Amino acid sequence: METLQNILLGFAVALTPVNLFWCFVGVFLGTIVGILPGLGTPATIAILLPLSFQMNPATGLIMMAGIYYGSKYGGSTTSILMNLPGETASVVTCLDGYQMARQGRAGPALGIAAISSFVAGTVGILGLMLVAPPLARFALRFGPPEYFSLMALGLTMVIFLAGKSMIKGLLAALIGLWLASIGTDTFTAEPRFIFGRLELLDGVDFIVATIGIFAIGEVLVNLEEKTKIDLFKVPKGLRNLLPTLQDLKDCRFAFLNGSVVGFLIGVMPGAGATIASFLSYGLEKAVSKNPDKFGTGAIEGVAAPEGANNSETGGALVPLLTLGIPGSNSTAMLLAALTLWGMKPGPLLIQEHPEIFWGLVASMYVGNIMLLILNLPMVPLFAKILRVPNYFLYPVILGISVVGVYAVNSSMFDIWMLALFGILGYVMRKLDFPAAPLVLALVLGIRAEETFRQSLIMSQGDLSVFLTRPLSVIMLLTAAVLLAIPIFRWTQAWRKQTASEEN
Amino acid sequence: MKTTRAFIVIAATMVVATLAVTPVNVLGQGFKPTRAVDVVNHSRAGGGSDLFARALVQMLEQEKLIPPGWQVLNKAAGAGAQAMAYLAEKKGDPHTISVFTNTWVVTSLTVKETTYTIDDFTPLVRMILEPTVAVIKGDSLYKNLKDFVEDAKKKPGQLIQVGGTVSSVDNLFRNLIQKTTGAKWQYVDVRSGGERIANLLGGHMHIYFAQPAEVSEHVRAGNVKIIAALTESRLEGLPNVSTIKEQGIDVPIITQVRGAVGPPAMPKDRVQYWEGLFLRLTKTASWKKYVKENEVESAYLNSEQLGASLKELSNQLRETLKEAGVKVVR
Repeated sequence: METLQNILLGFAVALTPVNLFWCFVGVFLGTIVGILPGLGTPATIAILLPLSFQMNPATGLIMMAGIYYGSKYGGSTTSILMNLPGETASVVTCLDGYQMARQGRAGPALGIAAISSFVAGTVGILGLMLVAPPLARFALRFGPPEYFSLMALGLTMVIFLAGKSMIKGLLAALIGLWLASIGTDTFTAEPRFIFGRLELLDGVDFIVATIGIFAIGEVLVNLEEKTKIDLFKVPKGLRNLLPTLQDLKDCRFAFLNGSVVGFLIGVMPGAGATIASFLSYGLEKAVSKNPDKFGTGAIEGVAAPEGANNSETGGALVPLLTLGIPGSNSTAMLLAALTLWGMKPGPLLIQEHPEIFWGLVASMYVGNIMLLILNLPMVPLFAKILRVPNYFLYPVILGISVVGVYAVNSSMFDIWMLALFGILGYVMRKLDFPAAPLVLALVLGIRAEETFRQSLIMSQGDLSVFLTRPLSVIMLLTAAVLLAIPIFRWTQAWRKQTASEEN
Repeated sequence: MKTTRAFIVIAATMVVATLAVTPVNVLGQGFKPTRAVDVVNHSRAGGGSDLFARALVQMLEQEKLIPPGWQVLNKAAGAGAQAMAYLAEKKGDPHTISVFTNTWVVTSLTVKETTYTIDDFTPLVRMILEPTVAVIKGDSLYKNLKDFVEDAKKKPGQLIQVGGTVSSVDNLFRNLIQKTTGAKWQYVDVRSGGERIANLLGGHMHIYFAQPAEVSEHVRAGNVKIIAALTESRLEGLPNVSTIKEQGIDVPIITQVRGAVGPPAMPKDRVQYWEGLFLRLTKTASWKKYVKENEVESAYLNSEQLGASLKELSNQLRETLKEAGVKVVR
């Protein structure tokens, strides 16, 4: 009953014309931020902060949050169309989304990304509304050992991303782990592998590496194969540009998977949407009847990570709004904004300012509907971009990549890194090395090392710390089971083969 | 020979002529920015220095001390190294300044790859001092820092402090207290302030040396409690919290400094402009509100005083870092 009253209060706040207007401004800007690589949510919020000082805090938060979850919708667009991840969490979307585009199914891929984002985004808000306080307390049980086990679980996803050759997949992951070790060793403040370059003290920028390997690498490979003039087929007719009923049916589990995994990972401070999207992709492939389809244009491979990416927003707002603990740069910026508006975000926020919390929750329902209405009609429009001839499309991709990467730190050094990673991406493609395990290891490697060493300091060097804490054990066991799946499949295939040979 | 002499004469005449027609205010006190100023900081959007820079610009605008449009630039790589390199490039540019913290001093002392150090820049003003307080979980049995230290003596290495990088103020305090009292406990570096509080609330780690504003809402909710002020005298906002020295632990006090510096070799008139601007800011209502809400100490110093204070801070940090086992390269 109380919840119902609160929701009514929330909608009373969210549906005022002023708040509706700024909610729309937020989600619209968010979509654009998501589409443009490099320009991230934290930077956008920072730029718009001065504009919001005249607003009341609820309105400001509604708009800023709109940018945050709106950017999650836009991120998939360039991933699918150009193999160019618009933001870090959309890297996984490239794997199957771009393949679908090459097969003339860019429309369904974009459509399913929007629909999945909407479904999972809504589930995330439901979670935020119904279980936020108990879940926040649960998340506090995650200390460094639990985080390490979560990262270990994440790293086992390499086996689902490896593609044809497991050895090449593992090698790519090793390179990723090495790249993750570049930068300042936080425990001793000593620089590692920085080759005298100050710019590397903070490590390899993840967005630079992914855009280089995926987008630049792809352009280079395609330029070489210039005999093929028509890379993309774009079917005519609106019906072929949207997902079919069968597509939606295929994605039933992906919607659920993305929603739940995304929300739960989101609740953990410091885990993040990128890990959520990789985990849900791995889970989707692990339970799929046709795991071989993944990486060649499986629609579930787009739906699951895009869903996870969006429901992560609801999850990430849980520790922020119930405890005042931000888990990512974006939520840290929201916290900063709240403080600058004169609010005191902390454990008493919901109690003392219910109109802020419930107003935001209600506005997120509205915002998600706006985003769906905003994004679906754009699908055919975006899909037609691929009709643009290659001699025009490739320079555009290169241009967007360079500008996007420069926008992150306004540093020329990053452009050289982009070129370097572009060449790496090209070489890997030529030698048939999968790129996704490298990126996964680069993202998780930093956190994995950090939490491993933190755990060992806590236990004074005793490794049993990972096996004596229940949550940690559960995650390590899950990782072990996941590792066993491909082995099980190989032995089965081998049995079948020997059986047929005997016959 | 003749041509050289002729050249000198012409040059000298030109110099004199220039001096004669130059308006007095360019040589005198009258410097004023002619376009929007870039305020550099070494954080990413949402980080400590980023917020400080934005708050400064916002307050200056609000108090109509500057026209709107000043930009905050993030040069976040290398804990101040990138910001320092950028500011050094802007030598002679009247429209770039930067905010700084202790981090600039520590990076100058510990990272041998940095081309520039804090000494290369023109000190402008010190604005605030951020106090540090010792925080534990709300249901913890320790009544003060002394209790914690005594318990740490009983079980060496088992209690855990959570904090920032090994060269942060928190860890320096730990080393100083350990050295004075003979107690030993572990230090775990956790990347973000939010996660540090999460680790404290989750009971994974036992103590955190924080800034009061970081934890004030948790104190109000009873989730955590402050057991000592690591300051010379009691804090205005926390009159019931005794200082570390009152508790019988005598260590030198390190304070987090925030202020502004300019590009290398800034002319005197420009320095005076910045001193005047920021001094006027400290007299405004916006500033007083900011200082109160963020629980920091307003601690204005002018350029000359800041220069001397930075030298002192540099020496103090050099000694403490060495004791903390961090490699000092300068």
